[in-house]
Amino acid sequence: MAQEFHLKLITQRSGGGDPIVRERRLEGLEATIGRAPDNDIVLADLSIDPQHARMRFIGPGRIGIESVSGLPFRVAGKSVQSAVVDAAGHPVVAFGEYTLSFAPGEEAEAVEVTVTREDDEHHASPGVFSLQAKVFGRRNMAWVLGSGIFLLCLAIPMIFVLFMANPKIHPDQQWSTGPLSKAHAFMEKDCKSCHANAFVAVRDEACLTCHTADPATAPKALDAARRLGSPFEPRLVAEHAAHADLEKATPLPPGFGRKVSVMVQRTLNHPTDRCASCHVEHTPAKGGDPTAPLSDKPKLVVVQDCESCHSQLKMRLAKTDLIDTPDWSKHPGFRALVMTQAGPKPSFQRVALDTAPQERNGLIFPHRLHLDPLGGVARQAIGLGKAAGYGAALECASCHRRDASGTSFLPIEMERDCADCHSLAYAKVGGELRDLPHGDLDKVVATLAGRTVSASGGSDRTRPGQIRPTAFAASGASAYRATFSRGGACYDCHTITWDGDTVRMAPVKLAAKYLPRGGFDHGVPEHGGPGLAKKGGFKCADCHRAQTSDKSGDVLIPDLAKCGTCHGQTTAKIAAADDADCTTCHSFHKPGQATPKPGHPPLRTLRWTEAITRREAGA
Amino acid sequence: MRQRTHEGFLRHKGFRWAQIATLLCLVVVAVYFFVAARLAEPPSGGSWLGYTLGTISAGLIVWLACLGIRKRVITAGHYSLKAWVSAHVYLGLSLTVLATLHTGFQFGWNVHTLAYVLMMLVIASGALGIWAYATLPQRLHGNRGETTRKQMLEAIESLDKQLHDLAQPLDRAGAQVVRLSLEQTEIGGGFWRRLTGAHGDCANLRAMRKLKQLPAPATPRQAEALARIETVLQQKADVLGLARRQMQITALLEGWLFVHIPATFALLAALTAHVVSVFTYW
Repeated sequence: MAQEFHLKLITQRSGGGDPIVRERRLEGLEATIGRAPDNDIVLADLSIDPQHARMRFIGPGRIGIESVSGLPFRVAGKSVQSAVVDAAGHPVVAFGEYTLSFAPGEEAEAVEVTVTREDDEHHASPGVFSLQAKVFGRRNMAWVLGSGIFLLCLAIPMIFVLFMANPKIHPDQQWSTGPLSKAHAFMEKDCKSCHANAFVAVRDEACLTCHTADPATAPKALDAARRLGSPFEPRLVAEHAAHADLEKATPLPPGFGRKVSVMVQRTLNHPTDRCASCHVEHTPAKGGDPTAPLSDKPKLVVVQDCESCHSQLKMRLAKTDLIDTPDWSKHPGFRALVMTQAGPKPSFQRVALDTAPQERNGLIFPHRLHLDPLGGVARQAIGLGKAAGYGAALECASCHRRDASGTSFLPIEMERDCADCHSLAYAKVGGELRDLPHGDLDKVVATLAGRTVSASGGSDRTRPGQIRPTAFAASGASAYRATFSRGGACYDCHTITWDGDTVRMAPVKLAAKYLPRGGFDHGVPEHGGPGLAKKGGFKCADCHRAQTSDKSGDVLIPDLAKCGTCHGQTTAKIAAADDADCTTCHSFHKPGQATPKPGHPPLRTLRWTEAITRREAGA
Repeated sequence: MRQRTHEGFLRHKGFRWAQIATLLCLVVVAVYFFVAARLAEPPSGGSWLGYTLGTISAGLIVWLACLGIRKRVITAGHYSLKAWVSAHVYLGLSLTVLATLHTGFQFGWNVHTLAYVLMMLVIASGALGIWAYATLPQRLHGNRGETTRKQMLEAIESLDKQLHDLAQPLDRAGAQVVRLSLEQTEIGGGFWRRLTGAHGDCANLRAMRKLKQLPAPATPRQAEALARIETVLQQKADVLGLARRQMQITALLEGWLFVHIPATFALLAALTAHVVSVFTYW
């Protein structure tokens, strides 16, 4: 048998079904392969050259194949120019889409070559017209974006919020609905410094950590603010009233929407009497001057005004003894805090001023006597001369000195404010006068013990700095008895009684404030303060009837009607007319003070260093 | 007799949902400008009006997203799919007003504004969809004439077969040119190519150019083949042009959904984060 190729041509049908098989014998030892029809093996593939390769027997079962066009073919996946294959190994040689599989023929020395075409024809389906995206398909993107946002914006921050105590990063920052005010900006990253518990509205405890004015815990509050990194000293605030009473005393706000809102909030554990109910953070301070100090602070949201709570208050808060003040005209007359018992622990009572109350301050002091321009006191003041700060009849400022703020007066101090006339000298040692220690009866008694009267008689009215002659006039009596007796240093102003030989003195206490729930600024020019007042401004005597007062017990505070002379009037009536609302004299967080305008000091003045300077200045 | 005239989802029941949505917007705008000025605090989602608008908006968003479920359920009757789509479109558009007022015009780099932006993205892409559905089907029909999509594909396949057979006598260079058209031609192409219809580097086109640059054929048989191939390549270019215009219009018709659907899922996630986070840090 001769060496020859048995060709088996297999064509797959595109429509499926059995393949078409054609067989042919190639005579001779050589066969040509190519696309041109004159080849022994015609491969109708455009990637194959018209004359592509040639194969021939080079031994029994061994076939050499070589490219004649220079284009390669593939043997066992490798691109080659020539190859020798052994039919016994069933090699496969590929030309383009065609494969030639060699196998030993049925007849000896013949080789069977099966030519098949890889049918990779694919038919485009009309679906190809639809828009497709492999990676960014609708479903893929939907799930990736959806779950990505869920993870990044909710799940991960929530894990940090619920389970991390002091995390280094703060993914919950993205939940912030807006920037914090400048005052609180240092806490911007640490949501939990205020939002202490998840799903619980910010509670007052968080605010009071830094802001409590409670004397017991205020120092701790300042420390807490420092620890949290506040560049500012926190403003310490007091409750307006007992907290438990506040919500009870507050009516529902006006307007249907607000009413519903408040009721819903209260139902959902979002109380409306919290600090944060009025002092709103994360919101721009819209409206008003952006440079005003208040824009540095949390936005103040005032839903209720003073009148809304202080009307029919008893209906909501039965135990209250506050009088309703639904408007200015209904404001009750002043009920001054009048001392009923002087002493180290004085007792007080609120008494209406129109009942001409008498104060028991323990002091004997007739204002009329001291202010009479033609009286003896005036004579003595003139005699003291200008150099000593007098030189004319006494006026209010001769004894009542303004404090550093200028808004009020220093408490009366005997040595400073009275002693220029009322000498406390009891002896002269080496040309120097010795004064009795004022304010402590036991010390006075101890100082005088054993002393006898030594001075000569003379005029009862002496220059200050001299020993009062009458004080020691009672011949043979002890200086002790003389000092506390008529003509003695103490007798004029103090109520003295004797228990045998032991002196008793009624305790003295001068009221610091008669109207503890309201603020009054004596520094305003119209109130008699320094500076140019509007026409119709007031002098001391216009409000305080001191010139006709003979008893120190007279309460010389004017009643509310006096305020009404200007406040709430029109300039047509009085040139010094001014507005009057509750805040003119009252404030929410600082009872007894007017609401400062524009509300708070500028933020920069609250920096720690400046705050200390401010405190040292006594402001 | 049932009326045969076609009434699209936009005109459904004489613009019933358009009227409802417009009324809703007008009422909400009126209430907002009446109430917002009287609010003690600056208007925001945290006021009572803010919560009300927020609740309505969130409810609407969830309901609107349910169209994806509804459209897969075949029902008939009053709550027809057409009515749903009509309501979906108009109530969806009204959200631009409701949700914007809910924000109180307060925006920032936070999850809340993210939800808002995503919502606006969904609505904007939806608006594109309305435009597409209102105008493109006609263009689609005008483009294809009486030819079906299947016929277009069959034509291309048949032309390819002709090219394959015609190229058999060609030498290597000629065969390469035909292979370029046969093997490299993409009917559609990728996402952006379909949307923009930019097929300037089409392989069939390149093959046509290269064919002209081939050296003179060696045999008359090859010359004849080349001449016929040129004709077939041109025929293929014509059919490709038709099919590709069809694809571009289809892409425009479907493209907005590639934003609308993923953005909706992103929105639902951001909305959940928005609501939960607000109450976490109440």
